[in-house]
Amino acid sequence: MQRVIGAALILAATGGAGYVYCRELKQYLDRMLYLRYIMSLIRGEIAYTHAPLPEVFAGVAARVKEPYRTWLKSTASEMKTRQESGFARMWNRSVDKYLKPLGLKQEHSILLKEPGTFLGSLEKDTLDHTLQMYLNRMDLETEKLREGLAAKTRIGGCLGVMSGIFLIVILL
Amino acid sequence: MERKGSKDQVFNILAKSVRKIVQADGADMEHIQEIRLRTGQPLRIVRDNTERVLPSEGTPHIITKEELRETMEYISHYSLYAYENELRQGFLTIEGGHRVGVTGKVILEREKVKNIQYISSVNIRVSHEFIGCADGILPHITKNRQVCHTLIISPPCCGKTTLIRDLIRQISDGNQYVKGCSVGVVDERSELGGCYLGIAQNHLGSRTDILDCCPKAEGMIMLIRSMSPQVIAVDEIGTSEDIHAIEYAMQCGCKLIASVHGLDMDEASKKPVLGELIRRRMFERYVVLGNSRRPGEIRGIYDERGSVLCRE
Repeated sequence: MQRVIGAALILAATGGAGYVYCRELKQYLDRMLYLRYIMSLIRGEIAYTHAPLPEVFAGVAARVKEPYRTWLKSTASEMKTRQESGFARMWNRSVDKYLKPLGLKQEHSILLKEPGTFLGSLEKDTLDHTLQMYLNRMDLETEKLREGLAAKTRIGGCLGVMSGIFLIVILL
Repeated sequence: MERKGSKDQVFNILAKSVRKIVQADGADMEHIQEIRLRTGQPLRIVRDNTERVLPSEGTPHIITKEELRETMEYISHYSLYAYENELRQGFLTIEGGHRVGVTGKVILEREKVKNIQYISSVNIRVSHEFIGCADGILPHITKNRQVCHTLIISPPCCGKTTLIRDLIRQISDGNQYVKGCSVGVVDERSELGGCYLGIAQNHLGSRTDILDCCPKAEGMIMLIRSMSPQVIAVDEIGTSEDIHAIEYAMQCGCKLIASVHGLDMDEASKKPVLGELIRRRMFERYVVLGNSRRPGEIRGIYDERGSVLCRE
């Protein structure tokens, strides 16, 4: 009886680990999609109001969830107090500081820092086009993630269960 | 009277190295009129009508390209695109109504100024709010506690915006010379109200409605239709559209307070469209300002016939 209970627990643990891995992959994709949504809100707000970036960020912050809200709010207030001589440095720092809990991969962190190089320094039309191109690139990244997601989820789930069975066989 | 936070509003837009020098000079914001930054030239301030090079002791500080770029970043809140329309006119207004003039390389599109790039000079004109500066004028521009159609004529830097701002406040709140009434302000360049996020930073009275960043001609019509103001105030009228809108507002029963660039009444009456209004005696009072002794000096107040009512 004890062996059966032990085997069931091992199977549940390894299967659970597989499930957590799959959920993590899904959540990562959701986070990337949410960042894309935020950037599209920023683009829309700039195109519609033509307001300066601190106002745009503060407006968008009110419409998004945590930790994105704190990120945008803090960036807006830092900009209002003019703490940095250049926008790019300020943007990079705030991405590192406030979006650390998202656990972004390095290439996605670099992608997110990219707007620091053009937001605010371009004229209206060029900025709008550049933001659109940037959103297209984000779409491409999320598409890549989505493509791999189905296969990875399947493998993650199977590996969890299989490794459990493997362990049970060895231990028995 | 110095507005709360006015000092910080101006200091914060200066590049850090320039800010240090101006602050080290112990500059009193109440007396600073202009701060001039020109690439490759010394830092200059105008204080009490006198120009000075900073720092006052030692070698003058030469403004670098980098300092000018940093200043422009601060002025625009790192968002130059948001100020394209203003830059097209050669200046922009920051929080508190301070005006920043810029020059550089002009970009043309269809023979019209599209933008300015490679900004090489910045002139920060500090806006001052002098509560009560219109005290001496108000008795002459009111009749039976009602304000007359008034045109303020003045060359640049003679305090017409400061004067018009205090007039708006007094007319809106009311006093022994004028019954408090609703005042509509069309603040095309955010200089009168110094609005930030739609809220006026200057005192414009309790019955004042402000249309911020709105073209004057369009704004006057909008105010008449939507807010039924008893008095409309506009600063620096210039185009024929502005003047036609003023005439329309006068015919709608609103009293008008406007200002225009000019040396005296003769010069104002020679202006193409405005001159016609003056000849038709549409304005009931003219206030001519100068700055030979101090900014805001009243050179004369005249009635519709051009007779002198008061002189300083």
